[in-house]
This record gives sequence, C-alpha cells and structure tokens, in this order.
Amino acid sequence: MFTPEKAYYPYVSPFDPCKPIVVKTYSTPPNLYMGFQPPNLPQFTPIEALRAGTLWKAFYDPYYSPYERAKEGPST
Amino acid sequence: MKQMPAEYYQLLEQLQAVDFVLVELSLYLDTHNGDEDAINQFNHYVKERKKIRKLFESQFGPLMQYGHSYSGKPWNWDDAPWPWQV
Repeated sequence: MFTPEKAYYPYVSPFDPCKPIVVKTYSTPPNLYMGFQPPNLPQFTPIEALRAGTLWKAFYDPYYSPYERAKEGPST
Repeated sequence: MKQMPAEYYQLLEQLQAVDFVLVELSLYLDTHNGDEDAINQFNHYVKERKKIRKLFESQFGPLMQYGHSYSGKPWNWDDAPWPWQV
C-alpha cells in the first residue's frame, strides 16, 4: 500500500559516543508507484492546485519533517 | 505611499493559479499527446488566462515588456510595484 514516507532502522553500536539515531525516514512520493500516468485523474481546482503543488490529487505529496506533526490535507 | 487595491492581488493570484495549471497540463501533454480531454482543458485555460491578463492589464498596466503587453499612457511598464515588491 502506498505510504508517503518509509523508514529504516540503522544499526546502533554499543560504542557509539553520540545519542543513537534509531529510525531514519525517507520520502516515497506517489509518482514512484504510478508509472505511466493514466488519463482523467481527479484534479484540484486551480487555486488549490497552486497551494498543493500539483494538479492531480493522486500526486499530492506534502512533506512534513519528522519534527512537525504529520498533517494531511492541502492546507499547507 | 502607493497602496495596491485588493483586486490587484486577487487577479494576480488567479493569473498565477491558471499559469500553474497550464504548466502542469503542458508537461502532462508532452507525454500524452492523444489525450483529448486534457487538450480541451488546456485550451480552455489558455482562453481563461487571456481574459485574466486583459482584465489585469486594463486596470494595472502591462505585465510584460518588449511587445508582449500594450503600454499605458504615459509609458508605465517601469512603475512600482515591481514583481519583487508586490
């Protein structure tokens, strides 16, 4: 199932002097899973598309840094 | 101090939104030459952009230079606000 972000868990050595980074996330936008874009996908209105950054709802991929709470919706 | 009316910003935002749709559609159409609906939508928004531009330029002066826009009287393409001052 498509998720905008995925994570991996790096190995943490017992001798690591710094605070270990347990989880690291990377972005997996929808176009990775889309392949050739099918016609007539649902679209945003022009003003919404300007805010969302894409014309087609399927490609909408808001990025929130791990420190921001993951907010959905084209409000950003 | 020169203040632009609210309509100035509304028209600019509409123009920006329509421009964005045109960019998206032209990129889409580069790889989907046969998509009739998208072409019709593209042409619709081209007409829409012409309307918005005409409306904007009739009130607030030319948007572009070197023959891409009519000029007001007196010569006013270099009047404030410039794009970065908007």
